[in-house]
Amino acid sequence: MIGELKYVLKCVLGKDLGGRYFTTFPDDTFIVSYPRSGNTWTRFLIGNLIQPSGPITFLNIERVIPDTSALSKSYLKHVPRPRILKSHQYFDPRYKKVIYIVRDPRDVALSHYNWQRKYREIDDQYPLERYTSRFVAGDLAGWGSWGEHVLSWLATRHNSPGFLLLRYEEMHAEPIRELGKVADFLGMKATQETLATAVERSSADNMRKLEKVQGEKWVATLDGLRDKGQRSEIPFVGKAKHGGWKSLLPESCVDEIESAWGPLMKTLGYELARRSSPAMEPPFVHLGDWGARLNQPTC
Amino acid sequence: MSVIHKLAYGVKHILELDIAGHNLVPYPDDTFIVSFPKSGNTWTRFLIANLIQPDRPLTLLDMERLVPAVDGQTRGFFKAMPRPRIIRDHGPFNPQYKNVIYIVRDPRDVLVSAYNFSLKGGIIDESFPIATFVNGFVTGSRSPVGSWGENVASWLATRGNAPRFLLLRYEDMLSDTARELGKVASFLGIKITEERLAEAVNRSSADNMRKLEKMHGDEWAQNKHMKRKDIPFVRSAAAGGWRSILPESAVGEIESAWGPLMAKLGYELSTSQVVETGAMNAAF
Repeated sequence: MIGELKYVLKCVLGKDLGGRYFTTFPDDTFIVSYPRSGNTWTRFLIGNLIQPSGPITFLNIERVIPDTSALSKSYLKHVPRPRILKSHQYFDPRYKKVIYIVRDPRDVALSHYNWQRKYREIDDQYPLERYTSRFVAGDLAGWGSWGEHVLSWLATRHNSPGFLLLRYEEMHAEPIRELGKVADFLGMKATQETLATAVERSSADNMRKLEKVQGEKWVATLDGLRDKGQRSEIPFVGKAKHGGWKSLLPESCVDEIESAWGPLMKTLGYELARRSSPAMEPPFVHLGDWGARLNQPTC
Repeated sequence: MSVIHKLAYGVKHILELDIAGHNLVPYPDDTFIVSFPKSGNTWTRFLIANLIQPDRPLTLLDMERLVPAVDGQTRGFFKAMPRPRIIRDHGPFNPQYKNVIYIVRDPRDVLVSAYNFSLKGGIIDESFPIATFVNGFVTGSRSPVGSWGENVASWLATRGNAPRFLLLRYEDMLSDTARELGKVASFLGIKITEERLAEAVNRSSADNMRKLEKMHGDEWAQNKHMKRKDIPFVRSAAAGGWRSILPESAVGEIESAWGPLMAKLGYELSTSQVVETGAMNAAF
């Protein structure tokens, strides 16, 4: 009852978290991804692109590119328009301009495992096998499974003009080129120098340094954020690498992930490790030769 | 919302008298009857209501209790409802819905029905050009549940192959209602005789639903706030009406937006080469 009263009071004052049901505007742009897919890095990149005067830090990122699941409805409402917002939501028809980041689910699983340890959802002894089954079933968070999340966006928006698909792995390989796509999508004219500076300021090394100094003050890593608190010895900024699953993820976990989402992974250009090819194509999604196109140079 | 409104909502929330909507707490044993609006959802609900409550003929008001709409009852109502619950929604993909019966209908007929529904609600009048209407329909710009294509694709792509997902086509339901309702019964785990199935179909006929709408129409939640009482909610209940009503340009617009998806669902396209040039495949 006390909890209810607190919630109601928060709602009346607009202090409840944005979540899925805050006010959106048609000129909003959303940076969307499944959790642990490079969203924070992308926010830093874009923040450093649109605000070249001063570098983005964990102290100003929530002002420049606010997190809809960490900030209140009233805060979000008063962000100057056009807003660029961060979200982990599955398909939401109200999002008219979307930059969607996708990452190899085998790496997402590992990164999310560490994230869950950080936030004391699981302990260090929690078996990766059991964790992977829950990851595949999508019952670790309210975002749906990785496959559901990705498909909900690709099936509805892929190839529509208000949708830009980025692959985390390509951002690693060619950050300047990929950030250039974002600049085009946002209708910005950006020189190679501007892009290079933004990439430099958003490097994993730099973000790690910033997290060490500012982590305690950032809304996602605040000590009092959750009832359970969080383990500051596990950093939020992870390894920032791809392919880590090859040495760290047990074979049975790789198998489980690939048999759940093999066709979708292949379409996205993620090579499967298991020999037997999954039988079914994902239903009702026409990605065409998108996977093959990924490796071609962009013009 | 003004502060007064918010406070009133706050009091309602504490008493659980606020409409559930997205505040509904789904249980894993809930079944959701989902569709884009104007796709035969009310008929399906009435069929299911008559299936699970065969003791007496039901009214549309009974249906609102037995198979309630997520935005039609309070949170308290849903909390008190006996489980397993069957609940109606029109929303796009929701990962919390674990058992889903999804009804799909030819978007060209959905458009005609949506136009009539907008007339009924007083949102447009008869002079509103269908060519303008079709544009908003295709972009889904004002739809809180996405466009037809977004709504359908969001569910089919995520759940199309999942065991706890049943896809029904409105057109199949029209042509063999008992067979399709039989699928629903086995999805819900209800053992049922041919007679009871036939009786539920009979009680849910368009004629009977029209009669019931006349009897209780004004009290019925679906009609209460509608401006035009002269336009009924239960309409022709037929397939293919778009052929004589929709201008060719409107058909073309729909088919070029969703051609591949329509073809996949078995809706024959009337304009050629759409499948190659449809928006979903446009880049290739």
